Amino acid sequence: MPEIINAKGLACPQPVILTKKALEASDEVTVLVDNSTALENIKRLASSAGCSIEVAGETEGVFKIHLLKKPGISPETAAPPEYLPCDSNGKPAAGPTVFVIASDTMGRGDDELGRILMKAFIHTAIDLESGPEVMIFYNTGVKLAAEGSGVLDDLKNLEEKGVKVLVCGTCVNFFELTGKVAAGIVSNMYDIAGTMSRAGRIVQP
Amino acid sequence: MTGKPDYLIALFNSVSHVIRAERILNGQGIPHKIVPVPKHISSDCGVCIRFLPEYRDQIIQKLEGKTEIIEIREL
Repeated sequence: MPEIINAKGLACPQPVILTKKALEASDEVTVLVDNSTALENIKRLASSAGCSIEVAGETEGVFKIHLLKKPGISPETAAPPEYLPCDSNGKPAAGPTVFVIASDTMGRGDDELGRILMKAFIHTAIDLESGPEVMIFYNTGVKLAAEGSGVLDDLKNLEEKGVKVLVCGTCVNFFELTGKVAAGIVSNMYDIAGTMSRAGRIVQP
Repeated sequence: MTGKPDYLIALFNSVSHVIRAERILNGQGIPHKIVPVPKHISSDCGVCIRFLPEYRDQIIQKLEGKTEIIEIREL
């Protein structure tokens, strides 16, 4: 008897997590989901875990997915799946994930605390499962990309990983940081506004 | 040797202590970095100060009596 996972109504990425757990314990799993992102992500999980997949068509918006582990395939040798990003409509987000750093502080209230929090946030960004593809720094945020900011190594690591870092040129000029920007590309409002308007997701700490 | 240096972290009781420590270390020019407390370490304060082992004594000395380090651990 296959294990049956009822993932209807569950928010992304819950259906994938439940399926993954079930596959660790059982060779045969049936999953019920009610959105196409969950269906696609479970297909990707199954293929990476070496399972055969059978989808019994959509009935009243519910997909029944039957997964059966193929013998002799070790999940360790398979490439990790690339999941579709989650969003509230169950549809994949269209544009890149953009982190907007509009200040050198995180949150409002105490600036000294805010500066500490922002440093910790930037340090964490590289390890995020759903991290940034672009980071935009403006207003006092540009100070983080300048010499002596305390997060330059983090920003350089992010750039090495392929994250595009845009730094507002007007702001660099205002804070007299010209020539001191040590990470990212000094950019302009056309690029900044354009990137934000095309973003699939904007994260602003 | 791996490419990544081994760091130590200093843990504090509160963020106020971290802020004070950062101000002192900046003033003294001692290299350090504010990082979130690693998940596997429990701490009331969510941020800590990371540094290379060679600065350990200097940091302890400069912060002594001014802010309270509760623990220094390997990262």
